[in-house]
Amino acid sequence: MAVKDQLAALEAERNYEHPIYDVLARFPGLDIATTSVDALLEWGAKNSLWIFPMATSCCGIEFMAAAASRVDLDRMGTIVRGTPRQCDVMVVAGTITVKMAPRVKRLWDQMPEPKWCIAMGSCAISGDFYRDIYSVIPGIDIVVPVDVYIPGCPPNPESLMAGMMRLQERVSLKRAGKPVPKDERPETHDKTIVPKIGRFEDRIAKDPNDRTTRLQELSARTLKVQGLELPDESGE
Amino acid sequence: MAVAETPPAAPVTPAAQATPIAPVTQVAASTGPLVPSGPPRDGPIPPIRAARTPRTDCKPTKAFVPEPHLDLSTYEADADLMTLSLGPQHPSTHGVFRVVLYLDGEQIVKAVPYPGYLHRGVEKLCEKLMASNITPIIDKNDYVAPMTNEQAVNMAFESLMGVEVPVRARYLRTVLAETQRVASHLLWLGTFGMDLGGALGGGTSLFMWCFRERELILDLFENLTGCRFHYNTHTVGGNRHDVPAGWPEMLHRTLGAIDERLDQYLGMLEHPIFSARTKGVGVIDADLALELGLTGPLLRASGVDHDLRRDAPYHAYAEVDLKVFVEDAGDCWARSKVRIEEMRESIRISRILVDNLPPGPICSTKPLKMVGQHKLPPGQVYVGIETPRGELGTWLIGGGANKGSSPYRLKIRSPSLHACAVIPYVLPGCSLSDAIAILGSLDPVMGEVDR
Repeated sequence: MAVKDQLAALEAERNYEHPIYDVLARFPGLDIATTSVDALLEWGAKNSLWIFPMATSCCGIEFMAAAASRVDLDRMGTIVRGTPRQCDVMVVAGTITVKMAPRVKRLWDQMPEPKWCIAMGSCAISGDFYRDIYSVIPGIDIVVPVDVYIPGCPPNPESLMAGMMRLQERVSLKRAGKPVPKDERPETHDKTIVPKIGRFEDRIAKDPNDRTTRLQELSARTLKVQGLELPDESGE
Repeated sequence: MAVAETPPAAPVTPAAQATPIAPVTQVAASTGPLVPSGPPRDGPIPPIRAARTPRTDCKPTKAFVPEPHLDLSTYEADADLMTLSLGPQHPSTHGVFRVVLYLDGEQIVKAVPYPGYLHRGVEKLCEKLMASNITPIIDKNDYVAPMTNEQAVNMAFESLMGVEVPVRARYLRTVLAETQRVASHLLWLGTFGMDLGGALGGGTSLFMWCFRERELILDLFENLTGCRFHYNTHTVGGNRHDVPAGWPEMLHRTLGAIDERLDQYLGMLEHPIFSARTKGVGVIDADLALELGLTGPLLRASGVDHDLRRDAPYHAYAEVDLKVFVEDAGDCWARSKVRIEEMRESIRISRILVDNLPPGPICSTKPLKMVGQHKLPPGQVYVGIETPRGELGTWLIGGGANKGSSPYRLKIRSPSLHACAVIPYVLPGCSLSDAIAILGSLDPVMGEVDR
């Protein structure tokens, strides 16, 4: 594929601002320079992933342990920031409840493109053994798109680091305009979970493995009804 | 009045208060007439066999009228209040917790806490599971100190089923609980340093130091149980994992190293910036603490000498002379002091007990593998133990139709919920930066608050 075609493909796909690239692309004969700059930017992007911790429960403690002295996530160029507006990666660590899901969605929308999401721990992936409880979202991927799944309850700090490295590969692939493989959602064993508690009890009893219908109905009932917008809680 | 909160539907009469009741390890299963077959509130419920000795030397509160906030109507003329929603996603709320602050300039006029962002329905979930399945789920409640959670729920099952715990398991449980207390307080100290910001080397230094030492304790637990975080090592009648070879020496090395570094943390209390940020900030009176049911370090920092490990000894706490640290000030500095001193005491107890581990079996029952292997007898029991955050109570009702080995009701009395109840009383009058320090010093764990 010619360089110009590559550039055209990149131009068609990108959904983020790229000022240096735009300036260089105006000059004829600078294709080589743009590709070099692209490589440089790719190297920079994948080694300066700033993390927004959506830490709600136990996985948040392991996330803190990963950011602390022994594993030291900072040596990969990550910085943990408390605000979504400066961050590239949202790490969803912990159980997300129905009450919390609109907030997660709003924080995700506040992050600038390009952005990635990591589902850390089995609660964020599937809800774990809380997934049939009335108040728990069975998997964060019905609220925000997930790029990397890290299974575990909770995952070790080393697992989180491996997940971050997997994300780095995806980042560089995406910057290079190559197809990014989809991360497979780890399957859960439905038969080990006994209790079915809550408002979806009846329908789950009919077909326990029908996750698609369940998720659709869940989003229709909880998220869509709320419009994924915060209820008016200013004041009391 | 009783020191801690009375469990629901169980009014404690004054006559029952006066007579001391046997400690929890000796409480036999209550085979009362309670057979819950209908709705839970149907018919009279017999009084609970309290597994703790009520304290009699605490002074009762008289005509305590709580005033959680100033009257906002006085501010309506100005209409200059700013509403600030702190949370649910905020690094210093220690989890998903939301406090709405009404600010007059930088002074807080009113504070309204909103919990419930991590409600996972654990108590309802436990009603459909048996004891061995409940243990790993209860781990996730107080995810900073999972060991003590397991112990609380398993002790409740043992009390109800009348299962005896071997001496070796009781000693080992004490060692694990005290080591877990050190790890939990270390995590609190690290995050508290981050909350205070520039108090000590930019705040992040303290976080790094504390996690450096917490990792050593997690290594200890990983060697024993195979898990770093959620251990699932307690079971009805004892423990699952016996002490591996070389583990006591490893514990001595680890805790000895941490004990030396505790001197630095005690010296940090005298640091001028740390003192300025914590002394006189967030004062909780003893009356208010007793009224709201505070327990643990929060209560001891307010001048009330109360510790379930000494007052109603369970495990092997009767074998050691436990020093209980009490501070009178009730501010953030006193709470820090109490927690750091507790770490040193926990290290001392652990090192004594691990040297004197008696030989023998570690579990008195066979592993529960099948549903219905052990049936819960009808009856109810309340067991309260002293976790790093205070009294963690488990109220367990067994029996009932078609229930088998799962409880009819499992109610958890979490100390963090009561710690959060103090927020509307303490925050008004403080500045915004003090609010962060106070929230950090309360050390709530949201998994335990919302359950």
